Amino acid sequence: MKKNKKIFGKIIMLLTAAFFYLPIVYVVVFSFNSSKSLTAFKGFSLQWYEKMLRDSQMMQSLYTTILVAVIATVVSTIAGTLTAVGLSKSRKVIKDFVSQVNDFPIMNPEIVTAIGLMLFFITFRVERGLLTMILAHIAFCIPYVILSVMPKIRSLDPNLADAAMDLGATPAQALMQVIVPQISPGIFSGALIAFTMSFDDFIISYFVTGRGVKNLSIMVYTMSKRVNPSINAVSSLVIFLITIILVLINVVPLIRERAVKRAVKRQLPVRTSGNVTGAGQ
Amino acid sequence: MRSRQQKESDSLGKICLKGINAMEEKTLIQFRNIVMNFDDQLVLKNINLDIRENEFVTLLGPSGCGKTTLLRILGGFLEPTEGEVIFDGEDIAKLPPYKRELNTVFQKYALFPHMNVYDNIAFGLKIKKVSKDVIEQKVMKMLKLIGLEGYEKKNVTLLSGGQQQRVAIARALVNEPKVLLLDEPLGALDLKLRKEMQYELKRIQQEVGITFIYVTHDQEEALTMSDKIVVMRAGEIQQIGTPQEIYNTPVNRYVADFVGESNIIPGRMLDDYLVRFDDQNFECLDHGFSRNEPVDVVLRPEDLVIVPAEQGVLTGTVDSVLFKGMHYETIVETVPGTSVTVRMRIVKNNEVISADGKEKISANDFFVDIDDVKLLDDKEIVARADAQAWNPETDDYISISNIEYSVAEEEGEYPVVFSTKSGTMIQKMIYVVDQSIVKNVKANEAVMAFNFFKTADELMESQALDTDLKLWANAQGWKLSDENESVEMYADYDFDLDNIREGMSYRVTFSTTGRELKVRTVNYVEEGTEVGLKFGKNDIHVMKRMM
Amino acid sequence: MKRFSQLAVPYVVWSALMLLLPMIIVVFYSFTDGGNGIAAFQFTIKHYAKFFTDPDFLIVLWRSVKIAVKTTVICILLGYPAAYFIAGNSDRIRNILVLVITLPTWINMLVRTYAWIGILTKGGLVSSFLGLLGIKDTELLYTEAAVLIGMVYNFLPFMILQINTSLCKMDRSLLEASSDLGADGLQTFCRVTFPLSLPGVVSGISLVFLPAVSSFFIPKLLGGGQYFLIGNVIENQFITVGEWNFGSAISVIMAVLMMLSMYLVRYIEAKNSQVADS
Repeated sequence: MKKNKKIFGKIIMLLTAAFFYLPIVYVVVFSFNSSKSLTAFKGFSLQWYEKMLRDSQMMQSLYTTILVAVIATVVSTIAGTLTAVGLSKSRKVIKDFVSQVNDFPIMNPEIVTAIGLMLFFITFRVERGLLTMILAHIAFCIPYVILSVMPKIRSLDPNLADAAMDLGATPAQALMQVIVPQISPGIFSGALIAFTMSFDDFIISYFVTGRGVKNLSIMVYTMSKRVNPSINAVSSLVIFLITIILVLINVVPLIRERAVKRAVKRQLPVRTSGNVTGAGQ
Repeated sequence: MRSRQQKESDSLGKICLKGINAMEEKTLIQFRNIVMNFDDQLVLKNINLDIRENEFVTLLGPSGCGKTTLLRILGGFLEPTEGEVIFDGEDIAKLPPYKRELNTVFQKYALFPHMNVYDNIAFGLKIKKVSKDVIEQKVMKMLKLIGLEGYEKKNVTLLSGGQQQRVAIARALVNEPKVLLLDEPLGALDLKLRKEMQYELKRIQQEVGITFIYVTHDQEEALTMSDKIVVMRAGEIQQIGTPQEIYNTPVNRYVADFVGESNIIPGRMLDDYLVRFDDQNFECLDHGFSRNEPVDVVLRPEDLVIVPAEQGVLTGTVDSVLFKGMHYETIVETVPGTSVTVRMRIVKNNEVISADGKEKISANDFFVDIDDVKLLDDKEIVARADAQAWNPETDDYISISNIEYSVAEEEGEYPVVFSTKSGTMIQKMIYVVDQSIVKNVKANEAVMAFNFFKTADELMESQALDTDLKLWANAQGWKLSDENESVEMYADYDFDLDNIREGMSYRVTFSTTGRELKVRTVNYVEEGTEVGLKFGKNDIHVMKRMM
Repeated sequence: MKRFSQLAVPYVVWSALMLLLPMIIVVFYSFTDGGNGIAAFQFTIKHYAKFFTDPDFLIVLWRSVKIAVKTTVICILLGYPAAYFIAGNSDRIRNILVLVITLPTWINMLVRTYAWIGILTKGGLVSSFLGLLGIKDTELLYTEAAVLIGMVYNFLPFMILQINTSLCKMDRSLLEASSDLGADGLQTFCRVTFPLSLPGVVSGISLVFLPAVSSFFIPKLLGGGQYFLIGNVIENQFITVGEWNFGSAISVIMAVLMMLSMYLVRYIEAKNSQVADS
């Protein structure tokens, strides 16, 4: 009976995985199709990639997406980290306020956040375009950075910054040389979340943009009515890009971990034999 | 016995500021009228304190007394609400920590986990941009000082508590501060390591020759290491002095209690050099109190000597003896307690079962003093009679809904009937008696208790027998001088719980403790022996009564 | 330390401006009418009245709730067994399986939804497969089924992850205790495992139901013009019609409804766990 359960679980898992990956494989396969058909694979060709490269609108949207994502990631990571450090030493009222307000974009339906920002820009007569898109992205990314940095700060010895300043470090030096290295995993994952949130965003970008500024998602949305296999090509490009980033992120720590383990192993004989690495040799 | 000659010069039991060791050293730090307010809570109340160069100063007090706050103000991590912190002639109260010439060893060390031992120690020097070879030289010297040579590449998180502790000290000392602040640095270590580190710290302090300011709640640590101890309580300094001064001449009951073992006895100062306690007059060395001023008298256990009864200044009975390893802690009762003995009669199980068997009810006869009759009401009677009703199947309690009694303020027997709603009832007696009170004028106490009736089952079921016996006998003790001040009593009985028989009476005695003095002795003295206690006038220390 | 606490000050201002104020503006718009200057705005509840009196809007709202409920139920039915299977593995395998589930979510939602157009259209993968089974010429694209597939596809990973997390957090010794006390596998599951994983299911529901109700690009891409949900109505008010006040009112209604439904779910869950406790 136990075995049956295992097999049943495996089948479910397999079907789920197939369900998740089917469209991705489909897009990649059909991006190499030699015909315009979305249903029949007629032969291998790179024509859609060529078309994509020649399609200035498409290239522009790719550029916008990356530009916005990079700026939003950098700004929100720095701002979110500093804020999280500040909040950890702030009074409870401030902490509560920020965590409540940060919940808005996370808990509210995205479309409500989106129209809120749109009306906000309209009310203050900020012309919608690239700038508003960047501001909006920063706004919805910072809460996620704070959320991933905060637990790391909480797990720190509360005296660390004091200890650094006690030894002569200015607050900035204490922050950069002691606090930041300690919470870097949180900062890193916060940055990653911010990047993918921004890179993927459609709803908020769609409402706060203007003057024909489009990111990839907006472009796919507006083009999807006509059959255009170049979308497959650009989608495949995105899939490759993200896959490479994810592989790097998942593999690099593994390699580093192995290196650390090796280093520890090398250190081991030192530890057991007491004091070999000795002074001043 | 320790000598007491310092006392002569220490008039009025006032704070003695003169350190013996550091007499010629100049004053390095001055706290002037420091007040600290946290969210409307006064954490420090007007602190004034001078600290000299090369002193080992300990701030001693329980948690919440403000000692760590004072240290953090000196470190620059907190800004005082009011007052000045003068360091080397300059007010540094508003100077940030990184501009101060002192370093801190933090609670739990606060080592930088991402740096190895070497980088942790070198941190301060690197910040000051000291050249590499100088850093290396100094770090190596420090590693030698703390006995961790060869550990420089080690991950600090993998070190033992004691090793982390040493690294934290080295990290602070390498910057050659004029003052090292230590915030309960030994708190996280086990007892044996803590003792070791106490000597180690003292050695390091003597070797580097700078001021150490040490915060702890451990009086033994303070006495072992310090040149000067500052005893704090609730944001105020109670006493400043050398360990000897603090121990021998505590200024009040709080300090005497916190530092070392002590017998503290309330007394009265009859005149200069003459104090009265426990109905005897004693010569002493203390003076400057007003006539008949109420005072507290300290007798340290090691200053008392047990002698044959006829040779003692005080006489008493040995109450208990505890072996403490190097010595015995002998408790001598010099003023006997007050006691009253009552009879406990064991009665047959007397539950009444209702006709349908669904209800049981039980109660006991009880005694009541003629003066207390007017205090009797339904609730009181149920409690005194221990009346209960319950369902024998489910064990659920059933409330006793009706109590019928008539009782007069006259000695005699009065029936009382308890019944439940469904009519199950039980009749018991209230005995009104004129109970005598046992008075003990010498000890200023009075006690009283009543005979009582219990079933064997009730006795066996008791979870806390002493407390229950007091409750059942309605035993009370109070001060003759103030009826509302109750006196703690303990119960003594001669029955064997496993062998109780119905119909028998047993004696139960309730007593107060009287005056008990702790004595440190080398020899074992049998419990119950009549002994004398001897002490000289220099063993008596008189303190102002605390508010 | 005061010096560091000041670092939070700029963000307090920023978040009040960029996160709090926009919400206030939406509510403000929903209760006012027209006019270009702030002074010209007038208080009104007519947008709310309009929404609740026009059966067309109510039908769309009802349809949105229905499809979101369907999506949520399907996600629980598919997600629970998958999560249960994942949780039953060793740490290493579990991490790999979680990675397998999460990887696709890192890829642009729009791109992944777009891909379904080719799969669901006539002659596409699904209809060819059904053709082999003898069901000829099925056109799934631009039907409710397509929208449902798109939603389940997009939101299922969240459900699996939430349930998996709560299953993994569960103390293994509880299961052992249960079987030690004589419960068989099914009893242990019904009486111990499932009730204890309910918090995961609840947070999974909030992560599926909320975005499903408000989604508008999935129905647009896979449902075509015919299949209108409340999100599409809001989009229309802002992008094509330009009725911002009415659009704001619909958004507020939606946000409030979702908040209420979340409270309801949490309330039921809390009650259940109370019952389980006693």
